[in-house]
Amino acid sequence: MPAPLLTIRDLHIAFTSDKKEVPAVNGVDLTIYAGQTVAIVGESGSGKSTTAHAIIDLLPGTGHVTSGSIEFQGNDLTKADDATMESIRGSKIGLVPQDPMSNLNPLYKVGSQVKEVVEVNDIADPGEADARVIELLEEAGLNNAAERAAQYPHEYSGGMRQRALIAAGLAARPELLIADEPTSALDVTVQRQILDHMNSLTDELGVALLLITHDLGLAAERADHLIVMYKGNVVESGPALEILQNPRHPYSKRLISSAPSLRSHRIAVEEREEVREAAETVAQEAEEAVAHPHVIRARDLTKEFPVRAGALGRKIGFTAVDSVSFDLERGTTSAIVGESGSGKSTVARMVLGLLEPTSGSVEFDGKNIAGLRTGAGQLDFRRRVQPVFQNPYASLDPMYPIFRSIEEPLVVHKVGSRSEREKKVRDLLDKVSLPAGVMSRYPNELSGGQRQRVAIARALALEPEVVVLDEAVSALDVLVQAQILGLLAELQADLGLSYLFITHDLAVVKQIADQVIVMEKGRVVEQSSAAGVFESPQEAYTRELLAAIPGAGIDLAS
Amino acid sequence: MWGYIARRLLQTIPVVLGATLLIYAMVFLQPGDPIVALFGEKPVSETARAQIEAQYHLDQPFIVQWLLFLKGAMVGDFGLSYSGQPVSDLIARALPVTFQLAFMALVIEAVLGVIAGFYAGLRRGKIFDSTMLVVSLIVIAIPIFVLGFTMQLVFGVQLGWVPPTVGGNVTFTNLVLPAVVLGLVSFAYVLRLTRTSVIENLGADHVRTALAHGVPRTQVNRRHVLRNSMIPVVTYLGADLGTLMGGAVVTEGIFNINGIGNLAYQAILRGENPTVVSVVTVMVLIYVVMSLLVDLLYAALDPRIRYV
Repeated sequence: MPAPLLTIRDLHIAFTSDKKEVPAVNGVDLTIYAGQTVAIVGESGSGKSTTAHAIIDLLPGTGHVTSGSIEFQGNDLTKADDATMESIRGSKIGLVPQDPMSNLNPLYKVGSQVKEVVEVNDIADPGEADARVIELLEEAGLNNAAERAAQYPHEYSGGMRQRALIAAGLAARPELLIADEPTSALDVTVQRQILDHMNSLTDELGVALLLITHDLGLAAERADHLIVMYKGNVVESGPALEILQNPRHPYSKRLISSAPSLRSHRIAVEEREEVREAAETVAQEAEEAVAHPHVIRARDLTKEFPVRAGALGRKIGFTAVDSVSFDLERGTTSAIVGESGSGKSTVARMVLGLLEPTSGSVEFDGKNIAGLRTGAGQLDFRRRVQPVFQNPYASLDPMYPIFRSIEEPLVVHKVGSRSEREKKVRDLLDKVSLPAGVMSRYPNELSGGQRQRVAIARALALEPEVVVLDEAVSALDVLVQAQILGLLAELQADLGLSYLFITHDLAVVKQIADQVIVMEKGRVVEQSSAAGVFESPQEAYTRELLAAIPGAGIDLAS
Repeated sequence: MWGYIARRLLQTIPVVLGATLLIYAMVFLQPGDPIVALFGEKPVSETARAQIEAQYHLDQPFIVQWLLFLKGAMVGDFGLSYSGQPVSDLIARALPVTFQLAFMALVIEAVLGVIAGFYAGLRRGKIFDSTMLVVSLIVIAIPIFVLGFTMQLVFGVQLGWVPPTVGGNVTFTNLVLPAVVLGLVSFAYVLRLTRTSVIENLGADHVRTALAHGVPRTQVNRRHVLRNSMIPVVTYLGADLGTLMGGAVVTEGIFNINGIGNLAYQAILRGENPTVVSVVTVMVLIYVVMSLLVDLLYAALDPRIRYV
């Protein structure tokens, strides 16, 4: 057996806060051999990125290694001086960072930033640096590399930026590449392309890869060896497939059972069926008098946005949504799926009546919502159709205690007396499985999952019939995501709610949707039952989206 | 780009109209009779009063005075001061002095403020940083006339390094001390702004990534931290040149410099509408042009900003 490239032994990392040591990583062991791919999996706060940053001595803020060793090619990096670290970074150990939007300097051309890496690592002769930059960008899969090199980061899409960062990370042909959530900020289809490309490059160049990710499916698909981290500890470590099929630690078991990418092809279809039947019955009982089985009908919805273009700033129309039609049946869930820029959120805003369509109409319970823009009609519509938005950090007023946030819609709609409202809020918190004690707390004192529960409780306060969930679980960790999806299904069965679920994640769709609407560039490309979309997708684009779910092809023995 | 500049220059028209109208109204409402003030102790004869009133249109309502002023200003005629000199001559003599003073102050505050702020930001929490924060706080807290008189006394009178007052002898060396006094407060702000901005940029993702790519720390600080930190500072400096020219009133008073601030001050005391309004018009124009230049500079620094 050859000597390992990187050996981490019993690594402890802490942050100093108010002169106290707050441990972040408690004893990580890890070994990477040349050319191997190792993945660290864990949710946010598990210490996986901290471990990765410790290797290259770039821990943020007050972070520092308190004990243990990081041996790279025989040198202990925890004892290396700044000059040694500078010579190792880039040339021996490369990095592909997490968020391509914030990891390129916005003030310099992309080419000049890659050139800087080429120059400081002495990869090419000064006269050939420019040519080398273009070669590297081409190698990373960027088309028209010569022209692209002369552009600024803001002229690039997220995927292109990540390609440029891969070019920079691999420029000096390091022996180890650390990829810290390299694709979690990107659309699924782009994600797959980038990962495939990065994998083939590291294979070709014989570069070892340390992949940091929260997505178990993705890790299992790409890595030989898997390390599962939880609260700063390694809870499980071993060959990827073995962990996946035979997890030992309870946390790994939970992670595997909740990962949408893995779970979605096992979830009982009957379970979903039961939820829907219950919900439909409740909905029918409540609305016996109403003759509209379709609570929402969208017909030829089109939205154009004016965009300035040309030297004279003439305005031209950009069609964000192009004649989209669909029905939402009472007590069911319709999911609108698409990548960013597909127009799915614009549709959601038009359904909510927050944005006026350029043409086409939205009917709610048989009435065009264009006629419900003022007075009592609007108030009634708002009461019966409620939104939950993507970012639970931004959708709650930070200055309002939780009680006030949930009570506010009741006050606006003049529901009940003060004591009745308080009872109602307690009730709602109970429904979303939060203790009544959170009423007096503020949003910043709650976790992301708890905040999203509060947002759901607020949406349910007025006993709506339709809830529009715009990427409502995308910002959450997998375990929390699974809990929230479970909660939504429960609430649907109990209250007969209808959901319009906007997401980019097909794996999530499979767990919750009855109808699926696939959107691409403002148009509906496919529309059918969930089973239809997943089992016999008709359109190439849908198949592409399905193939992009990481880990879908992995067989789980259990 | 040119369309943008043209539009911005067109915007100056309402700004100048509004500013001159406001100044006219304020000077008009100012208590006291300028003609009595002009004659001092001596009694004012009715014929002389009538003649002066006619000459300066003081017998007209102020809106007519304002319109007459605008009519003259269109062809570069700002009228006569009460001492009979063309106002345009007075401004032509005073403006270069103030401009030189303000520009020197700007250079001093920019160079010292950015350098000190940059190093304070890099050494956050260390002794240099703490010292600079205390020094800047003291400078901001003490009124400019206290600083001005103290420095005049120490460097001008006791040490004798520079003449205590400038008077008619406007040279570079004579203006150094007044420029330091004038730029001192802004120096403190530039320092603090640069420091905050540097600290913020040191934590930026792209800075960490550049380090991870093997770029040496000093090069990262220079290329990625300093330049990115300059964007808010440049905006501040541009707006500050206007403030410096206005703020020169006090400094010009202390060091007896015959600049635009002194001219405006004397004219306000005498209630000389034509002079006050002319000076203000010139200042407004300078301010507008400066802020346009800053916006263009901003676009040069930050490629994400493009004007159409």
